[in-house]
Amino acid sequence: MKKVMIGNHAVSWGVQRSRVEVISAYPITPQTQIVEELSDMCADGRLPARYIKVESEHSAMAACIGASAAGVRTFTATSAQGLALMHELLHWAAGGRLPIVMADVNRAMAPGWNIWTDQNDTLSQRDTGWIQLYCETNQEVFDTTVQSFRLAETVNLPVMIILDAFFLSHTSEPVDVTDQEVVDEFLPRRVATYRLDPSDPHAFGALVRPDAYMEMRWQQQEAMRDTLQRMPEIDAAWGALTGRRYGAIEEYRTDGADLLLVTSGTITSTARHVVDERRDRGEMVGLVKVKMFRPFPTAALRSALAAAERVAVLDRNISPGHGGIFAEEIRSALYDVPLEDRPMLFGYVLGLGGRDVTPAVIDSLVERSLTADPPERQDLWVGVEL
Amino acid sequence: MSDSTERDITEPKRGGRDIPPIAVSRTTTEVNPTGSWKYIQPRYEDRVAPCNANCPVGIDIEGYLYLLGQGRTEEAAALLLEENPMPAVTGRVCHHPCEDGCNRANLDQPVAIHSVERRLGDIALASPPPAAPDPVRDERVAVIGSGPAGLACAYHLARYGYRVTVFEAAPEAGGMLRLGIPEYRLPRAILDRQIERISALGIEIRCGTAIGRDVPWSELDRFDAVFAAPGAHVGKDPRIGDADNAPTVRAGLEFLKEVNAGGRPALGDHVVVVGGGNTAMDCARSALRLGSEVTVLYRRTPLEMPAIPQEVKEAKIEGVKFRFLATPTVARSRDGRLLGIECQQMMLGPPDESGRRRPLPQEDGRFTMLADCVLTAIGEDCDLGFLPEGIEISGGVAAVDELCESTTARVFVGGDAADLPRSVADALGSGKRAAIGIDHWLRERAGEPVEPLDLAGLRFGANGNLSIARERGTDPLHRADPVNEVAGWESMNPAHFRTMARNEDHFHAAGDLTASFGEVNFGLSDREFRDEVARCMNCGVCNRCELCLIFCPDMAIHRREDGEGFEIDLRYCKGCGLCAAECPRGAMAMSREES
Amino acid sequence: MSQTIIKDLIPKDELLASGHLACPGCAAPVAMNLVLKALGPQTVVTLPACCWSIIAGPWPQSSLRVPLFHTAFETGGAVASGIKAGLVARGDDETTVIAWAGDGGTFDIGLQALSGAAERNEDIIYFCYDNEAYMNTGIQRSSATPWGAWTTTTPAGEPESSPKKDMVSILAAHGIPYIATASVAYPVDLVEKVKKARTIRGTRFIHILAPCPPGWKTQNDETVDLARQAVQTRVFPLIEIENGRTWRLTVDHAGEPVAPYIRRQARFKHLTDDQLERIQADVDDRWERLQRRIQYGT
Repeated sequence: MKKVMIGNHAVSWGVQRSRVEVISAYPITPQTQIVEELSDMCADGRLPARYIKVESEHSAMAACIGASAAGVRTFTATSAQGLALMHELLHWAAGGRLPIVMADVNRAMAPGWNIWTDQNDTLSQRDTGWIQLYCETNQEVFDTTVQSFRLAETVNLPVMIILDAFFLSHTSEPVDVTDQEVVDEFLPRRVATYRLDPSDPHAFGALVRPDAYMEMRWQQQEAMRDTLQRMPEIDAAWGALTGRRYGAIEEYRTDGADLLLVTSGTITSTARHVVDERRDRGEMVGLVKVKMFRPFPTAALRSALAAAERVAVLDRNISPGHGGIFAEEIRSALYDVPLEDRPMLFGYVLGLGGRDVTPAVIDSLVERSLTADPPERQDLWVGVEL
Repeated sequence: MSDSTERDITEPKRGGRDIPPIAVSRTTTEVNPTGSWKYIQPRYEDRVAPCNANCPVGIDIEGYLYLLGQGRTEEAAALLLEENPMPAVTGRVCHHPCEDGCNRANLDQPVAIHSVERRLGDIALASPPPAAPDPVRDERVAVIGSGPAGLACAYHLARYGYRVTVFEAAPEAGGMLRLGIPEYRLPRAILDRQIERISALGIEIRCGTAIGRDVPWSELDRFDAVFAAPGAHVGKDPRIGDADNAPTVRAGLEFLKEVNAGGRPALGDHVVVVGGGNTAMDCARSALRLGSEVTVLYRRTPLEMPAIPQEVKEAKIEGVKFRFLATPTVARSRDGRLLGIECQQMMLGPPDESGRRRPLPQEDGRFTMLADCVLTAIGEDCDLGFLPEGIEISGGVAAVDELCESTTARVFVGGDAADLPRSVADALGSGKRAAIGIDHWLRERAGEPVEPLDLAGLRFGANGNLSIARERGTDPLHRADPVNEVAGWESMNPAHFRTMARNEDHFHAAGDLTASFGEVNFGLSDREFRDEVARCMNCGVCNRCELCLIFCPDMAIHRREDGEGFEIDLRYCKGCGLCAAECPRGAMAMSREES
Repeated sequence: MSQTIIKDLIPKDELLASGHLACPGCAAPVAMNLVLKALGPQTVVTLPACCWSIIAGPWPQSSLRVPLFHTAFETGGAVASGIKAGLVARGDDETTVIAWAGDGGTFDIGLQALSGAAERNEDIIYFCYDNEAYMNTGIQRSSATPWGAWTTTTPAGEPESSPKKDMVSILAAHGIPYIATASVAYPVDLVEKVKKARTIRGTRFIHILAPCPPGWKTQNDETVDLARQAVQTRVFPLIEIENGRTWRLTVDHAGEPVAPYIRRQARFKHLTDDQLERIQADVDDRWERLQRRIQYGT
């Protein structure tokens, strides 16, 4: 069924098609339409899920944890302050190996209040053990939502589907909402490895001493490593059924590139235009889109970027005291490339708090990156006017 | 280059520990021996209920009340009969010092043990009699007197397997029970059946045979041991003052013997009974039933009266009048007929050797009373002339040790004839002690390997009577580490009890009873009996209430598989002491941990 | 016997194992044992951070013979809501889901999640076993700490200065179907309340007083007696509230003077006679207000 819908509703439809069983909902701009649409779907029977109207995001995640521990498929959505409030429990979900799926609408962190898009909210949570998948289009949002449940339940790790505030969340795009039968073929019912069951009682989450905690974390890390294989496999399976696949990263017109841009989220769409224009003029500029940020696709990125002489990373985020987060992680990924092959890295910080990143801005960065000397600063802030 | 046999610590080592991906449990905490934390530990320790300790017979009252509460009536009766040969009698006439010790008095009122015993005694009488034991011993024992002391001794000896012959001077067995206690207190049918049950054990009772008078003492030489319990039947001189009294100034005991043998003498309109004991009450109430107006004259106050308070109360209800602090001085008669008596008003001075305050004449305290008959019930003496020389008599009674052994070997003396308190219960108790003593003495004499008697171990508490059940090892109740201490009120936890009013016996309406010597006390109804049993707190003895189990924070207390109480799993017990603190009846104790 | 025969009124299932790590004389396992007996094996427990997080036993052990989900401190009400939703979603509407939290995780940090669950009338039973301070972390005050008490954050020089938060009234204001207070010294009352709660749908809250020997500075073997005395002095009345409107007492409260109850706990030993009088006046006042609620409802 093809429909024009806002990104938030693409999430809702993804959840509906995935036959989620328990949803917890707390509103925050710009996520509200996700949970509103789900509320309608539950009310009219399109989605026979239990819908808990919790009283905060912390409780939203807590309720998901409880429901997931009971062995059912669960979902919630949030943004910025709400995600930050959940922080403690994000660790709990991941350490508890619960396959919860959550949509986060990337929104800037307060103070001052800012409802527009940047990536600091999700990237602040990068150490909690959640898989993070950044989407570029509403179609990708729908597809990723469905894939996330299968991925989460395969590796027993929670998954965050991430979409830009307003540029995706509130922007209408055509979405092919895959038929239920196809989704059912792709995504069977969850079969929990561990669950709360009076007929087989166990305790979960008791005190673990230093002599065993590390082994449990090691297994969690192994699951993250396994995800590097599983995510592309699942993506390919979805591609086989629907014709749409995305990959952990996407290389766009990267052949022989002198300069590779690295982007995520909606900046990618804008950057594609710039790359196309440059390529049309015969310039060797390409683009690597990073979809999966956790687990970090080190090998794939190293392989995609090493050939270029210059790499310009566009970060809609900043880790204060360090640099743009994608840039720093890519820099680290490139460390093992021998020095003579290692590209020059430009880490651009832009678009914070929803500041528009136009094709002109990107183009000027391309221009600059093609010719500038190696930067002294690791984070090059774009367009700051005091 | 690293040695290939040395493991690279960055390579995960697999197998063995099998750590799961999440903290999911796979065993119980029972692998933790938390008992290692404790430095003190609890134990079950059954102690002695105060009723048991107070009972002169030495009955395991708490034990039979527990069995009754469990619905184990037959076993309750058996436990009672192990110690007391005549519960249907004691349940009617005993002065029940058990109730005086009952801890329940601190909560509401004492348990009506007396009433319960009466009912249980009647139930036992109505049940099929137990089989007569085989006389497994060769020895023969002679018992002189078939009152409570003699019958008790015979009973216990017969159950030990001895052949017993009882010599009774009167035409019928029973001693003071028949001669001195009126039928309205102790119906003849009950007494007869109770004695039948005792003699049915194979005891020979030869009535009309007084040792000394009908049979010389030497006849008893053929017996291996002798227990003399002739009682105290000689009423003190009833005469008032120095002058000759009319024939209607009589010893109360003589009057009672006549009435209890069926006589119904006409005493006249006004009868005065002198004395404050049970005999005085019996005389007063019997005289009332013969149609007289009766006044009891007592030289002290009601507080000093030795009679059972219930008897005094019943006498009052029936219409007996009382005059206290008065004593008769002169009997006035004419032509051989008593007209009246002169009396002296008394007042209480300092205590005498009995501990009671001495009555002293009050100045100007003379008065007269009309009297057609005076019955004096001021004490009885023993006739011990038939006893052989060598038996120390002092103060009119024989000197004996705890087992009733006299100063002459082979001869034991008990009941009112020995230096003991005088009551039916004390008599029964002495008969039992004599039986234990005689049995031990005979077996020693026969050269059998006998352990010395551990009297302290056989007594209930420090001062109670001996227990046959302990001596024979027939206690049906599992006792956890019994300790011979009395569990007083301080060992109880009253928080676990709710108050319940005491159930009282039902009596004949007062107006109906004169002229009839029928039993006045109907006892308790079935429901009242059960309720009264339920009021027993089982002081000092575990009654399986399970509070210890319920309050143990460590689930370290478990029911024994044999159903006999609980055991503590010391592997887990942390020694908190909640079990012992909450035990309603002080049946647990804490002590330093044993290694 | 005139001792109330309770052994036949307490279910015999043993759903709590020995070897747990509670301090000697702790009321919390007594409470858990009685509650689990009343609920039976078809129960799931979620347990936010509190003494019981340790009492339950470290991995790989568990002292509970029912499923147990350890969770973060403030989440009792929310995780229980989620578990219940999950079980219902998988077709099980019969298993009882309970949250088992201390006073800290109920009165303070857990209040929001509890209020949220109560307002939604989630079909869970929320148990708060109340030892009147953050005992697991070493006896720091909570809003359940009674006025005048010593704790490590309310030392004798400046003891607790707020009255104990009235959780029962707060929850009554939510109008949930069933609220009860209970004490480990009244096991039958506690068991009956839990059994009754089990048959009711919607949010049920049971507040159990659980004296703590190290925290209250009492002897190990006094715990049950303290829990009894708290009731008899009316410091902790045993009540039931239905739908937030109908209040009733469930045992007789003798109305013994408060002073002996306070004086026997060394956490109060610094209090003067005047302060004890104030406590008595406060208890009397609260009792009177309770009587009005019982009489008139709310």
